[in-house]
Amino acid sequence: MHSVTAIVVAHDGARWLQETLDAVLRQSRPLDRVAGVDNGSRDGSGRLLTAAFGPNSVLSMSRATGFGEAVHEVVRRLPRAQGQEWLWLLHDDCAPDAHALRALLRAADENPKAAILGPKLRDWLDRRVLLEIGVTVGRSGRRDTGLEPREYDQGQHDGAHGVLDVLSVSTAGMLIRRDVWEELAGLDPLLPMFRDDLDLCWRARVAGHRVLNVTDAVAWHAEAASRRRRRIAVSDDHPRRLDRRNGLLVVMANLPFLALVRSVFRNVAGSLARTVLFLLAKQPANALDELAALGSVIGRPGRLITARRARRKGRKQGYPAVARLLTPPGATWRRLTDMVQRYLAGEGPVDSAGRHHAAGAAAEEEGDELLTDSGLFQRMSSSPAVLLCLLLAGITVAAEWPLLTGGGLLGGGALVPVTGGASDLWRLYVEDHHSAGLGSDTWAPPYVAVLAALSTLFLGKTSLAVSVLLLGCVPLAGLSAYVATRRMISYTPARVWLGATYALLPVATGVVAGGRVGTALILVLIPVYAALATRVVAGSRRAAWGFGLLLAVGTAFAPLVYIVVAILGGLAAVSFGGVRRGVGVSLAIGLGTPLVLLAPWLAGIVREPRRILLESGLADPALADPRLSADAILMLNPGGPGTPPVWVTGGLVAVALGALLLRRHQTVVAVGWAVTLFGVLLAVVVGRLGEWPGVPLAFAATGLLVATALTAHRITEFRAAGGLRRAGALLIVLVAFATPAAAAGLWIAGGAGGPLRGDLTDPVPPLAAVWSPNGERTLLMRPEGGRLAYTILPGRAPLIGEADLRAPDANARRVGAAVAGLASGRGGDDVRTLAAEGVQFVTVPGPVDTELRRALDSEPALVRVNLSETGGLWRVAGTVTVPPTPAGGDAWHRTWLWAQGALVALILVLASPGARTAEQIEDYGDAPEPPRQSRRRSKNPGEQVAA
Amino acid sequence: MKALIENRFGLLTLVLVALGALYGVAFVSRPAPVQEKPAQKVRAAVESVSMVCPDPGGGRLNVVTPPVEQTGQGGQSAQGGGAATVAQMKGGKPLATLDRVGGLWRQDVPLRTRPVTVAGMGTMAAGLEAAQTTRVASGAQRGLSGVRCVEPGAEAWFIGPGPAAADVTLHVANADVAPADVAVMIYAGEGPVLSDRGNGMVIKPGEYREVKLRDLAPSPLVMAVQVTTDGGRVAAAIRASLGEGKGVDWLPVATPPSTRVVVPGLPGSAGQRELYVATPGERDTVVQVKAVLKDGSYALKNKETVEVPAGSTTTLDLTTGVGGQAGALVLTSDEPIVAGMRMTGTGSRQDAAFTAGAAPIDLGSVVADGGPGKKSAKGGGKQESRLVLSAPFGAATVRVRILPQDGAPAAPVEVRLPAARSKEIKLKAPAGAGSGFAVHIVPVPGSGPVYGGRVLSEETGEGVLLTAQPLAQARTWALVPATSEWPGVVLP
Repeated sequence: MHSVTAIVVAHDGARWLQETLDAVLRQSRPLDRVAGVDNGSRDGSGRLLTAAFGPNSVLSMSRATGFGEAVHEVVRRLPRAQGQEWLWLLHDDCAPDAHALRALLRAADENPKAAILGPKLRDWLDRRVLLEIGVTVGRSGRRDTGLEPREYDQGQHDGAHGVLDVLSVSTAGMLIRRDVWEELAGLDPLLPMFRDDLDLCWRARVAGHRVLNVTDAVAWHAEAASRRRRRIAVSDDHPRRLDRRNGLLVVMANLPFLALVRSVFRNVAGSLARTVLFLLAKQPANALDELAALGSVIGRPGRLITARRARRKGRKQGYPAVARLLTPPGATWRRLTDMVQRYLAGEGPVDSAGRHHAAGAAAEEEGDELLTDSGLFQRMSSSPAVLLCLLLAGITVAAEWPLLTGGGLLGGGALVPVTGGASDLWRLYVEDHHSAGLGSDTWAPPYVAVLAALSTLFLGKTSLAVSVLLLGCVPLAGLSAYVATRRMISYTPARVWLGATYALLPVATGVVAGGRVGTALILVLIPVYAALATRVVAGSRRAAWGFGLLLAVGTAFAPLVYIVVAILGGLAAVSFGGVRRGVGVSLAIGLGTPLVLLAPWLAGIVREPRRILLESGLADPALADPRLSADAILMLNPGGPGTPPVWVTGGLVAVALGALLLRRHQTVVAVGWAVTLFGVLLAVVVGRLGEWPGVPLAFAATGLLVATALTAHRITEFRAAGGLRRAGALLIVLVAFATPAAAAGLWIAGGAGGPLRGDLTDPVPPLAAVWSPNGERTLLMRPEGGRLAYTILPGRAPLIGEADLRAPDANARRVGAAVAGLASGRGGDDVRTLAAEGVQFVTVPGPVDTELRRALDSEPALVRVNLSETGGLWRVAGTVTVPPTPAGGDAWHRTWLWAQGALVALILVLASPGARTAEQIEDYGDAPEPPRQSRRRSKNPGEQVAA
Repeated sequence: MKALIENRFGLLTLVLVALGALYGVAFVSRPAPVQEKPAQKVRAAVESVSMVCPDPGGGRLNVVTPPVEQTGQGGQSAQGGGAATVAQMKGGKPLATLDRVGGLWRQDVPLRTRPVTVAGMGTMAAGLEAAQTTRVASGAQRGLSGVRCVEPGAEAWFIGPGPAAADVTLHVANADVAPADVAVMIYAGEGPVLSDRGNGMVIKPGEYREVKLRDLAPSPLVMAVQVTTDGGRVAAAIRASLGEGKGVDWLPVATPPSTRVVVPGLPGSAGQRELYVATPGERDTVVQVKAVLKDGSYALKNKETVEVPAGSTTTLDLTTGVGGQAGALVLTSDEPIVAGMRMTGTGSRQDAAFTAGAAPIDLGSVVADGGPGKKSAKGGGKQESRLVLSAPFGAATVRVRILPQDGAPAAPVEVRLPAARSKEIKLKAPAGAGSGFAVHIVPVPGSGPVYGGRVLSEETGEGVLLTAQPLAQARTWALVPATSEWPGVVLP
């Protein structure tokens, strides 16, 4: 014989309450008694309760009362009844099915030890979606329903006999024996919201009772509080923080001591990790809540001790019964993998499946995509981007065949033979004292870090990274240009033309032949700059951060990039600054980021302004044409090795001049031409200063191409017009495509090589490398045009970037004199001078100059190791010790590196696409709400209670 | 303005004007082509020289450092003092320590003297030169034989008679601190002698060794010898004794294989002349022979060319061509060759002398044994010294200066050499020359390449004793190249 009292607690829940009350009153097993509590509702919930239960059955309590407190109050006033007395706890937003109570009581009959029973909870709106069939908790305090988000209820989780043994059931619809309620002292008032149910059920379990989820009984729950459908008055804290805090508190209060200790460590570490993840996901509010929750549990040990003392009885003995119902330990890892997958799929990095508001993010788009999948191959082969990339890759392979099949090291021009791995580059970047050359304390240039990062991406293989970047510069630039113009140019053939022409610019082929890795990267980046710039001038902050970071990368390789972009950006600020709000700030971010990230290096450049014109790599004057003709500059041809004849770009310039005649797009074309004229002017200046004007000409070409391509859709109009216009359109197309076609043809015919070769050998002979275990140095000499060029290598080939390090002048002069003396064969103590600098080997690449060979052979302190057509190697007699690097680090350098790393990480976070935050799930609500309520909790907590 | 903007061609005109302006700027600012001036090498005094006299026993040892030449060309001279030491190898006692620049040190050394090292430092190093001359009046070793003391090196070439025709001894000495792994390669008349016996000879520091080439290759009548080291350096010299009444002498070091070889120092005395040519390469070659004599340069009749099979040595008798005429030979071929010559004195008992391909003496040359003085050493006959100078490729002027044993150096004498001509100069000991003198020969700047040799001869009743020494580049100056630190040297 059961006697059931339904207790409905309402708090600003009028939106759901009526339906809830109807459901309660229409139970197929009628209720024996009903009681309502109104916790100071302001939306008329109290009236609804009174109307349904009658004024005698409704208690009015203060707004700050918690759910547990309200139930306690009712139970305290509730007179004893006959038979087995049950309490049926109901939220105002929880409507039970008409047969719910009957099913619950039947289960209670069948399982006499069951003290707490709960219905299966489904979603209020989408009535088939499963919310809970019992809840468990991990040792980290993480709520776990064991369900996928948005799982439909098809009975798949239902128990064998309609019941499931669970750790806890929600208070929404919880049926609890009154004697057990009183024995356990009910819901803990310490936990006014969230996890109070878990705590109660845990204690019930420990006391030897069963907690069952009755899957035959169904209730629909809106989870109004945790989804913030309504404001919480019981606490000032954000529900998320409250949820997390209570979760931690419940676990820590109920775990036996040993498990508790483990749990404390686990939670501290876990919380910190989650905080970092939240920060990465740009959810600082979440991160703060996470930390605050942990802090409020750890920081108030008194509360925890009190709670533990209250639960001391039977805690340890009852724990095994609870432990098997806790989330298994492996779940954390499974969740982590899920999280990574979901992040890759574009969702937030921190999952919320265990939260109350689990059924958030929709995933329909993915499903749609799968439905329309027409096969990978078909999709690929019909994409112009892929076709363009394949075509350019084919041209590249045909032109670069000797380079690709050289079988040796890639190098030449501005590129030293590429050796070493990512770790070597990282070491070069972070070390304070370099062993390269004569030893140097110069800070490594920042592009070393970029290359190191790229090499890391390529599994540590620097040569692979450089090869892809440099040799693949043409298809990459084409792809980049094609993709970057996606939002600017809607006419696809124009984008294809733009991509192909851009990729095969004289600058691009010159970059490959000259081994200019830096400019290759910049060539790929320029279209990205253009694409991001359009968003920056639209005021996008995120694009500005990305733009700033990429600009810093480009600037690190060629400072001239910054000059060009800064001037163009300044002009853009003048033109757009007044138009849109926030443009100024965005531009400042974009242009200021490189200045901050590269500050010390740029300071060095300011002291030597000529370095602005130089790019990364060897500054070989032979790579630039000092007498570059005027027509070459105007035709965007930077001269130097690997550049085609001047006329190749004639088609492009002709089409671009023709675009000036279109009146409809005159502004766009004028802007493009302005960029071009500016770039050409800069190229004239750079060229006449004796440097390679590739970078400004690349910008000039970009302006020209974008201006032309933006007007290209007019071609279709001309073609449609028929007659002469149609012939004209055909002619224009022919002229336009003549440029990439001619460039490709000439490139293939002439070959991509030049100074760049793919068959270089390690400049340090293997014997010298083997016999230099302590970094003994090798002097490499090569007579070049009457001069003797030399360099000192640290027992291995030089790394990219080591050429930019400088030795102290005094050392360099002394060693220079000693090298000259050694090469002259005058005897003397030149070898001793060199040996004092740690030089153990002298090598001359073949064919060895006879005089030089004689001079070295005549030196008594040198022992010839070998001499062949590939080169000669001499060893300094006796042992040589490398001068030790000065002890102690460069504190400034260390500090700066840490700061730079932190800045880069921060900018990456700011620039990366943000995660969908939990707040954005709000539009899940059924009805449009007043915007004031849907915002986060207000800044002034007093207002919530008082208002 | 408005009309310009609204006109269809307005923008085009503006852009074209701007492009024209840019073209103008670029055109006007285009720099004139710059002629690359090749970097000049700077002369610097040699600061350290060492050499080994292979077997001076029983002969006279001559060591000299010439006075610094004031050429007005600048150059850095060695600062401070310096000294040259003359010492026997293997811990033998030092013979002398010299510190007088410009004075000849000459001493007769007793028989069974070990090889002697001559090492100069500082001021005494610049141009330090040493030579040994031995005179044996009778017996199987009768003859004048002399050799310039050799600087240790990693490679040395010799050319002359083979072990089947003469008693050929290779002297190798290691005066350095590192062991030398010596290999000997012989190119005989029939081709290269393939033998392992010449390889892997390790000479420890301070060691010396004499190797009978007969043990390595007994059969060659003529041969070219290449002494190389695989690590370390050796001073190598070869002495050939042709047998009783046929003469004896040292083979001078020949220039390494090259496609043009000048064999200088052919004396104007009568006697046999036999040319040796070897090509160590792998292809047969035809060598053009041209003589550069007093009256001009021309190919010898019927002896215009000599065919040399790959990897072998050939002789050509030039007695009827250049016998009795002082001069030099210029040999050219497509393949690198090594060349030398045997000269024989007249008389019932002959003496031989050898010369070999030599380098031009651009920076000057020093002959330590310029000739005997009035107070000639014991047993010395009446020796005559002659200098044969050739300028095969361009007119030249050389300054010849006698450096007597005692007294101040004589004033230099200028000798003009017309292009493609040779000259023979008789060297006379100046007053106060003591027992002998050295010679310092310096081409005047602007001269063509000069080659030469010094010939010592002595008339005896039985026949003329003869020895020759091609002029070698003096180790006075080193050409210090301009250097630049350039990381790009790692690229070819």
